[in-house]
Amino acid sequence: MKRFFKALQKYFADFGTAVSKGDIWVKLSLIIMGMGYIGRGQVIKGLIVTALEAGFVLFTKNISWPYISKLNTLGTVQREEVFDPLTMTKTVNDYDNSLLILLMGVLGICVIVAFIFLYIANIKATYRVMLRKKEGKHVNNFREDLRELINDKFHITLLSLPAIGVLFMCVLPIIFMVCIAFTNYDAAHQPPSALFTWVGWKNFLTLIQNKQGSTFGYAFGKILIWTLIWAALATVTTYIGGILLAMLINHQDTKLKKMWRTLFVITIAIPQFVTLLLISKMFGNYGIVNGILQQLHITDFMQEMGWISTSYVPFMTSSGLTHVMIILINIWVGVPYQMLIATGILMNIPSDQLESARIDGANKFQIFWKITMPYMLFITGPSLVTGFIGNINNFNVIYLLTGDYVTTDASLAAANAKDVDLLITWLFKITSESTLKQYYMASVIGIVVFIICATLTLVTYSRMIKGDSEEVFQ
Amino acid sequence: MKAKRVVGSFFRHLLLAILAFIWLIPIVWLFVTSFSTDPGIRTTHFFPEHWTFLNYQKLLFQPDTVANFPAWFKNSMIIGIFTCIISSAFVLMVSYAFSCMRFPARKKLMSFSIILGMFPGVLSMIAIYFVLKMFNLTDSLAGLIVVYSAGSGLGFLICKGFFDTIPASLRESAKIEGASELVVFTRIVIPLSRPMIVYTVINAFLAPWMDFVMAKLMIRSKDPADWTVAIGLYNILQKTLIGQYFSIFCAGGVIVAIPISILFIIMQKFYVEGITGGAVKG
Amino acid sequence: MKKKLVAVLMTAAMAVSLAACSGAAETTDNATETPAAEATETPAADTAEEPAAEAEIAQGSEDAISNLIAATEGTVDLTLWCSELESYQNTMKELVDEFKTTYSDVDFNITIGAQSESTCKDEILKDVEAAADVFVFADDQLNELVQAGALQAVTATYTFDPVAANGAGAVNAASLNGVCYAYPLTASNGYFLIYDKSLLSEEDVSSWENLVAACEAQGKKCGFDFANGWYLYGFFSGAGCNCTLAEDGVNNVCDWNGETGLAVAEAVKALCSSDAVISIGDADARAQAKDGDLIAYVDGTWAIEDFQAAYGDNLACVKLPTFDVNGSAVQQGSFAGYKLVGVNSYSKNVGWAMLLAEYITNEASQLKIGANTQEGPANINAASQISSPALSALGAQSAYADLQRVGGNFWTPAGTLGQSLYDGTAEDVQKALDDAVAGITAAAE
Repeated sequence: MKRFFKALQKYFADFGTAVSKGDIWVKLSLIIMGMGYIGRGQVIKGLIVTALEAGFVLFTKNISWPYISKLNTLGTVQREEVFDPLTMTKTVNDYDNSLLILLMGVLGICVIVAFIFLYIANIKATYRVMLRKKEGKHVNNFREDLRELINDKFHITLLSLPAIGVLFMCVLPIIFMVCIAFTNYDAAHQPPSALFTWVGWKNFLTLIQNKQGSTFGYAFGKILIWTLIWAALATVTTYIGGILLAMLINHQDTKLKKMWRTLFVITIAIPQFVTLLLISKMFGNYGIVNGILQQLHITDFMQEMGWISTSYVPFMTSSGLTHVMIILINIWVGVPYQMLIATGILMNIPSDQLESARIDGANKFQIFWKITMPYMLFITGPSLVTGFIGNINNFNVIYLLTGDYVTTDASLAAANAKDVDLLITWLFKITSESTLKQYYMASVIGIVVFIICATLTLVTYSRMIKGDSEEVFQ
Repeated sequence: MKAKRVVGSFFRHLLLAILAFIWLIPIVWLFVTSFSTDPGIRTTHFFPEHWTFLNYQKLLFQPDTVANFPAWFKNSMIIGIFTCIISSAFVLMVSYAFSCMRFPARKKLMSFSIILGMFPGVLSMIAIYFVLKMFNLTDSLAGLIVVYSAGSGLGFLICKGFFDTIPASLRESAKIEGASELVVFTRIVIPLSRPMIVYTVINAFLAPWMDFVMAKLMIRSKDPADWTVAIGLYNILQKTLIGQYFSIFCAGGVIVAIPISILFIIMQKFYVEGITGGAVKG
Repeated sequence: MKKKLVAVLMTAAMAVSLAACSGAAETTDNATETPAAEATETPAADTAEEPAAEAEIAQGSEDAISNLIAATEGTVDLTLWCSELESYQNTMKELVDEFKTTYSDVDFNITIGAQSESTCKDEILKDVEAAADVFVFADDQLNELVQAGALQAVTATYTFDPVAANGAGAVNAASLNGVCYAYPLTASNGYFLIYDKSLLSEEDVSSWENLVAACEAQGKKCGFDFANGWYLYGFFSGAGCNCTLAEDGVNNVCDWNGETGLAVAEAVKALCSSDAVISIGDADARAQAKDGDLIAYVDGTWAIEDFQAAYGDNLACVKLPTFDVNGSAVQQGSFAGYKLVGVNSYSKNVGWAMLLAEYITNEASQLKIGANTQEGPANINAASQISSPALSALGAQSAYADLQRVGGNFWTPAGTLGQSLYDGTAEDVQKALDDAVAGITAAAE
């Protein structure tokens, strides 16, 4: 924290120095950003920077400012239309659209923030150029600047396009959705016909409270627990399953390795939603599995034993059994992937280590636990964490498998949830399937999911990112 | 000792056969159902009672108001190809920058990107839709390509891990000989990471074939000719249609699986090649 | 086709129209309270004149259309969403072509999209501005579409009067708080009992008890989608329980946990205790019927084709059976269902969209749709010319059918109630009902 403030202090101090000690060109570039370069002969660079500045001003003034100025209320003018039956046309007033105000407002503010950074960086850069000139050092011409971009500043070239993509498709939507959590955006306040507005932290309270008529708190606790259990089990089972399968296939005695691998890999080749829907139909109450069980009189037997009360095995429709089925089906889905990854890594295990272990008389299990697993964990540790996070957000498997599930827990039902929902499918249902479309609750849940994932990652990853492990193999 | 080994080997193969059998049941069911004369779901027999090619014929040559598979396939193919070019390029670029370059704020950017990737995508869909609408890209293939590839830079982690294993000495010696970073990237690092590129390319290519949630939101057109395979097949499964179209759905699943299976079989080859690459770095 | 005037151009006449449209609606008094009604009335007030003679009004309607034709420049782009079923799409295409010839002075570019009526609302509400100009939707979505301001109120009509031409139930379904928001298209979106008459007699299907006994005797099954609030509602409404929209138009009022409700729930639970009764969804039911296990099922016209394939000539349809509550037989109720045609209030060519909506819902068009699909027209004259077992079953059931007016919080809790009654997890029925009612009536802010 302290370091952060120091860095911040230095950041602005440098800016101050640049402004106060800069010559006329530096000072001119406070107004016209390109002047600092033009004054030192870097005309093209100067013009580009100036054009950027002009673009920014035009964008903000003409496009984003009308929205930014309404951000505090998210719009006040409700849509009103007038239909004239004589001409069969209608006139509509100039109404506000809260959604657009929020979206464009956020975009506009992002642009402003980005511009401020650019502006400060620009002044500092012009100041540096001034110093270089003063010291009689070489000042790059435009061609040399371009050369820099494929050399020392190659990262800028590499990162700028992906960064723009990420800004528009990830950062902007995320900020937008985070804002939604603080509004009352739902079916009753749905733009363009209606307006929504800020409500503060109220929605977060709804999530943790279990007050009369609202069971969000109850549903949240229950679903959160299942989400975590699911993520842990799904990750571990497919991970270990994948490694074991890979070892089985890659064993020196196994014939036709490639064929076996292909057999399993084929299951990945069919789009997940096809296979998952298919499997959910197979295990449906009146699906083929139950049909066959009935023909074999296994269902009757189970009924007599009192294991099931229905004339079918409720694979996908009863709490408990469905949870188990989901995990099992997920093994089916996930193991081939993990097998492929594990195969690649297993083949890379330094064979000298295995050899020396064998010479030392270690048996297979010892080798597996002492050498193979640690090596695998070292290489795939990060993917294990991403796997866990991925499973917390595993929309497809849960959504496609549990379409027929009807919860018998009335409190969950009141919150539009099911026992088998993950947080992520729950929030999807809130926005897409519930008629109330409580976007704000979905957004709150989304933020919670995000916080859980981010914390987990930061805790486990911090070593991997900060540590020097990335250079170990270089 | 040898006898024990033979027995072990036998059981190993038996186990593999059983596992493969389990794994293939749904696939086989999909496959045989696609040849069924009965258009709905069968519940009592695993194999259809009567076999026919009609489902494929309908799917491929008689597009109707529900299923226009040739158009779906074409759309998905276009999206898949462009997405995989753009996103693979993005992933490689980002990975190289993070793995091989050293610049201020590198680690902060990396942490930031990793955390950013954790925000549930399902949630930001609505916002993405309106961002696309702002650029007038909804209802178009270009829009979907943007959706699938724009954020792909965040998926650099695995690829960066691979680049980390490429010996820095290789790059440095090239630079001493006067090669620019661009040359190092395109001439040294990329050729060395063929398995990784195949992995990235295939993953990127597959996304548009698998995703129906995002695609359904972005493509508002109700003309089946504008849909992708995923939207179209998913649409078939709704209540009013499933009774008439289930076998056709299965046929669609099989046809989609063919190009992807081929891709995967190729990918396996590269996994094996990855070992040779591994030998160099070892 | 002959353009017949029904519409109204002046304030006074318009008020009549509003009232007429809502003719059978429960609440006509607060018509002016809704924004849409206000909006449409304000401008007309400026040009208020004495209600004109009928001939003059007819002239006015023609004028309005010719005004519109005169004011139209270039191509008119319209999008029409209707069911993806081939028969529907083809019929609509014919109707659209006829529409184009009717107004041959104008260049139309009409796109027909495939969108199931049952999920139409979801697609529209994702982005009203980008949705179709004219769309077919099921009447249960009216409330939310109106709430979202997506429907152009039918304040004036130009070629015929939907209120007079269509059955009162359909008009009622298209109206909310006394304002008509859509053009009725079909009146056959409700449910009834489908059975195999070679195995079940009319006596058997008259009551659930007989039906269950007959199925048990033959080792067959009869099905009902208990886990779906849409169907479950029939048991409670039949016995006189109440569940409907509250005054605010968003929340529900529900008395299912009262004494009668408890008796109904016990009856349902008793019914479900038989192995012959299965709770089964619509798609599964069709497959089961094909396999010959399921010989009676409660479903709608959309499933007829599949059941026809399963039962062949033995397919029969009848109104829902009675069931036993506290020793007396009670007729099971149901939701009545209609398909309506709505005009998007964000349509860029709202005038043409209204004319198109009128065209595809007029008598001749409804007749054509009725003939080409399994559905029954909402138009009174057209309905009298089309008959099928399913439609007569619906007709018989209609006396016990309610308009579907429930808020969004109804569905999940009601489905859960049905599921727990069916699988017997609800040991304390009263508590299950209390929980369900708490969920159904929970306030949606």
